Amino acid sequence: MVAWIGSRTVPLPAAIEHVAKLLAKSRCPVFSLDSDVHGCRSLIALAERVGATYDHVNGRDLAHEVALHTDIGGFFATATEVRRRADVIVIVGDIPAAHHDLLLSLAATKPDLSRAAGRRWFRINGKGGPALEGELRRRAKVVEVGAPDLPIDAVLGILRASLGGRRTPAALTDIDALLGALGKASFPVFVFSRPTDPASLAMLQGMLIDINRKQRASALFLPSDDDAWGMVLASTWMTGFPPRTGFSTGSPVYDPWLCDIDRMIAAKEADLYLWVSERDEARPPRRGGLPTIALVRSDRPFSGAAVTVRIGKAGLDHDGVVYSSRIGTLRAATATAPSDLPSVAAIAGELQHALQSEDMASC
Amino acid sequence: MKPLTFMLRSEPEERLDLSGLTPDKLAGMPVAEIAGLKIGLSRRPATVGDVFKITGTDASNIVFAGGSGRFDLVGAEMGTGRIRVEGDVGARPGRRMAGGTLVIEGKAGLQAGSGMKNGRIEINGDAGEGIGGPMAGEIHGMTGGLIIVRGKAGHRPGERMRRGIIALLKGCGDYAGLGMIAGTIVATGRVGRYPGHLMKRGSLLFDRRPADLSLTFMDCGRVDIAFPALFDRYLMEEKILDRPLLGAKPYRFGGDNAVLGKGEIMFPKG
Repeated sequence: MVAWIGSRTVPLPAAIEHVAKLLAKSRCPVFSLDSDVHGCRSLIALAERVGATYDHVNGRDLAHEVALHTDIGGFFATATEVRRRADVIVIVGDIPAAHHDLLLSLAATKPDLSRAAGRRWFRINGKGGPALEGELRRRAKVVEVGAPDLPIDAVLGILRASLGGRRTPAALTDIDALLGALGKASFPVFVFSRPTDPASLAMLQGMLIDINRKQRASALFLPSDDDAWGMVLASTWMTGFPPRTGFSTGSPVYDPWLCDIDRMIAAKEADLYLWVSERDEARPPRRGGLPTIALVRSDRPFSGAAVTVRIGKAGLDHDGVVYSSRIGTLRAATATAPSDLPSVAAIAGELQHALQSEDMASC
Repeated sequence: MKPLTFMLRSEPEERLDLSGLTPDKLAGMPVAEIAGLKIGLSRRPATVGDVFKITGTDASNIVFAGGSGRFDLVGAEMGTGRIRVEGDVGARPGRRMAGGTLVIEGKAGLQAGSGMKNGRIEINGDAGEGIGGPMAGEIHGMTGGLIIVRGKAGHRPGERMRRGIIALLKGCGDYAGLGMIAGTIVATGRVGRYPGHLMKRGSLLFDRRPADLSLTFMDCGRVDIAFPALFDRYLMEEKILDRPLLGAKPYRFGGDNAVLGKGEIMFPKG
């Protein structure tokens, strides 16, 4: 069983036909996506076809990460460049556990394109910040810089003022060691993830601008979700914009507020919701009264959905392409347990075909 | 001549882009043509005639009789004339406005006066986040003009503004003047966390000491300079305030020392 209309089991073509009718009829469809690069590409193409607005399923967190690039901009390096060049690594705040392997691999290597014989490690932390993982702290001999009673944005501000030789009213622990290391470094790199607030990120990137006036320095941005970042890249190369983007006027319009799916649904602007996630047990949020189409990994229909389609997962049921922050680009994800479950890209392709029939029928 | 009036028939079913209904763009346009302009933002957009009943002929003086939180971009890019909205508006009223007067009698959504260059915006109700700020991808916020908010303002008013004046008469949220390059923000009432964060130059003038000031602002003590008296007089002449804001010898903090450090925060009480 792979498709249901309401709670009734139907053949997949019948479900596709029903979804195509709903999409063709909708005045303001919205898509929430979470798929591999092939799936995202096909759904963005579908959004363009039906004039929909799209965002990632976890759009709120992703919007902060995207804003770093669209609103602030900055210096960014890849993990490979950091591995070969960085002689000082400064971890800023908390790094998700998914990236700890990458940090440990950096701690196990020495920069071969640097004059320095090894790397020095620091970590900037503020009030309430979790302690660094024990193995990384031990292997990399990380020096903690900060103040236990100040939030991290204040710590970054004091550090930046100190780097610029301007007065500050408070001192940070081990700041002299960090300033000394940055002054001697050939290529210091600040590693950060999980953006806390835009002002902290602006402060960090501003500090990099200050340092780059005299020497080279950069930042390694580790997305909190690699798959979501893959969608950002796919969206950007297809439309010129990251998510949150909409096609309601025919052309892509990037607007993080106007195209915020949660806002559009709460304000009753959307009249059809397509929710797609390849993650196990992920379910769309209940949206009372809004017709919902759910493409999910489930062997049961989603309660309240107009249509539910069971989908396969890239890298498990079928081959796929995903983003890897470890190599800083896309990588192939080969199916580990191939199955007949349809991929998101295959369903989107079927929908494009069915919509052609809808268009011809309406002529 | 009677003002060109757009009477709202009922709450619109979709967001509306009203940037086309400005004195500059409607001058000399026949009513039938105005009624046919597309303003909806959905796949099947509504026209002006679907949403409004149109009366009057003076396009230099436009009135929206009835407002809605779905009215986006009211007065955007207007360069002359006057627009009055008898109700609420949505996002970005007065976006890139270059002249004229925009009066909103109700609330305004986010980024009122975003990228504004000149003119005057008065908002009698509350206003959302990012007053006078830049849109995604833009480097600067407002570069001139005057925005007056008589209700409460959201976070980040005056973000990256280069010139102009913003007056917030019932306080504002966090990060007032975030990354400000120059210009002036006046606020009476409670001001949120870290006003002036990352500001390079410019003035933040408050009626009280901010509760949560960034550590990279330095206390300069009380200052005896001509600017407060001059600016107090300006605020009263423009009927923005009815009594002096700063008075003689206000307290001054200089910053943000994390960046250039040539901005200032002034207030009358310690």
